[in-house]
Amino acid sequence: MELSRRWQFIRDAVAVLVTGIFMFPIFWWALTSIKPISAIFDKDRVVWFDFVPTAINYAVTLFGRSRSQMAIDDGLGMGVAGAGTYDSRQSIIDSIIISLGSTVVTMVVAVLAAYALSRMAFKGRNAFLNWVLGQRFMPPIAIIVPLVTIYAGLGMRDNQNHFLGYIGIIMIYALMNLPIALLLLKSFFDDVPKDVDQAAMIDGATRLQSFRLVVLPMVKGGVAAASVLCFIFAWTEFLLSLFLTTEIRTIPVKISTFVTSTGNEWGFITALGTAAAIPSFIFILLVQRHLVRGLTLGSLKE
Amino acid sequence: MGVGQAIDARRPWLPRWLTSEHPFPWLFPATALMVVFGLYPLYKAIETSLYKKNAATRKLVFDPDFNWTKALFDERVWNALYNTLLYTGIALFFQLVLGMLIALLLDSDRKGYGLMRALMTLPLVIPPSVTAMMFLLMLNGSFGVLAQGLIGLGLLPPGYPILGNASTAMAGVLVAEIWQWTPFMVLIMLAGLRSLPKEPFEAAAIDGATPVQAFFKLTLPMMSKVIAIAVLIRGIDLMRAFDYVKVMTDSGPGTATETMTSYAGRIYFGNADFPYASTISLLTLLLVIITSTLFMRLLKVKL
Repeated sequence: MELSRRWQFIRDAVAVLVTGIFMFPIFWWALTSIKPISAIFDKDRVVWFDFVPTAINYAVTLFGRSRSQMAIDDGLGMGVAGAGTYDSRQSIIDSIIISLGSTVVTMVVAVLAAYALSRMAFKGRNAFLNWVLGQRFMPPIAIIVPLVTIYAGLGMRDNQNHFLGYIGIIMIYALMNLPIALLLLKSFFDDVPKDVDQAAMIDGATRLQSFRLVVLPMVKGGVAAASVLCFIFAWTEFLLSLFLTTEIRTIPVKISTFVTSTGNEWGFITALGTAAAIPSFIFILLVQRHLVRGLTLGSLKE
Repeated sequence: MGVGQAIDARRPWLPRWLTSEHPFPWLFPATALMVVFGLYPLYKAIETSLYKKNAATRKLVFDPDFNWTKALFDERVWNALYNTLLYTGIALFFQLVLGMLIALLLDSDRKGYGLMRALMTLPLVIPPSVTAMMFLLMLNGSFGVLAQGLIGLGLLPPGYPILGNASTAMAGVLVAEIWQWTPFMVLIMLAGLRSLPKEPFEAAAIDGATPVQAFFKLTLPMMSKVIAIAVLIRGIDLMRAFDYVKVMTDSGPGTATETMTSYAGRIYFGNADFPYASTISLLTLLLVIITSTLFMRLLKVKL
């Protein structure tokens, strides 16, 4: 629709304003992460830009430096003890292991099932699809309480066996992401004409060969998009990890431990939060094209 | 099938259901995952809910009615149900309306709009627990930038604790929820708007229809399927909301922001009454199943 120049200007201005409002919390968060404590907790006013930027929050959370030592080095006098609890290096490693591990498991399982559901006609196909969809609708809280007991009985909780603890959380994340990955991949497989693998099989390829060598390479984009979404959902998950783990701390759970009854360590919270958001930001910008399809479980295409 | 036989001849020792011609090997891993980590715990949850936890001996005694009767007469369950529905309803309304308005605003091919659409997706990937903390920081009565803004405008008395007051705590939590998930609606509405055919709108413009008329008579009806899918997916996630409530208010003050999921969590972490926590979480599952089935049946939506 053609708009007059004046209306077009107003529209542009409103669009920039609205986008700005939505970006503001992220900006404020990142800004807080480079503020010294005195600028975060000013009792009388909100500090905008009149502070000396500091990297101390990143140094403590990402590099395990001791805050009290840094405070002395900087000539700021006494610091607060207990830097160890804010050292988040192990949490970053835990989050990477769990997110990558669960993405791999989800994708292997989902690719196989999605291919069969897209290509083969068999009894119970629709029932299976409904089961998968039902899995997506299930509130995680409904399975996590008994799962903790089951894991404890098997000696699989992280305080019983650290390695099995990883496996336990990886598998439950794989289950959480399975419906979205499976349904998204199925919609990509559905886009590939059936003649393609039929032709390969007439030439003597087995099902497995035609899947691996012909069809799978044609849905590379879909596999990449599904993997990225699985990674992001695992990276940001909170409830399952909170209930299931005591020693392994993924980043979202680790940050929540910085909120304490005696006061919130906003500097550390914002620093770790900003650092944790950066990989997600990069990934989400890479899959813009398939985002809508992914978020609607393959039912809407852009 | 000639093709199938050729393969059977290659590996004659394999039974047919183990070859790649049969769906079984393809579906087995997914089935195993869903049975072991989904169905079995669900079965266990139902079983656990039939036991009574003896507070003194900490032993579980089989008593199938106990927890379900207790839940029925538990005022906190009804309060949590009310809060869950209120939370879901208000959040859905704002996310849908704002999502549609922002999608209409950003649906343009002019320079810069693509960048703005991409920026709008960023809130979606911030961990919800971190979003909750962002708003915890900004809503703080003494140094929160949002709270200070509202105080500066004279809407709130100085130092007012938004999240610490029963009458405003829910609104505070909802702000975080709405900020994070409105972009989800924007994205889906944009995809819907972009897939609309052009001709009806050109015809309507020739007939002298105003843009507002065109929106209500053409855009909305043609987008009904897209809107229904978005509402369904979002509604299910809203009914099991946990992160914002847990981090921002921990269901408080009192039970002012207690939802079904957060109540179950409180029982779990509070007095470790696993049977009752299981019962409440199964009620959450029932709520999701009933409302989503009704929604899909009544509006004939299919994912």
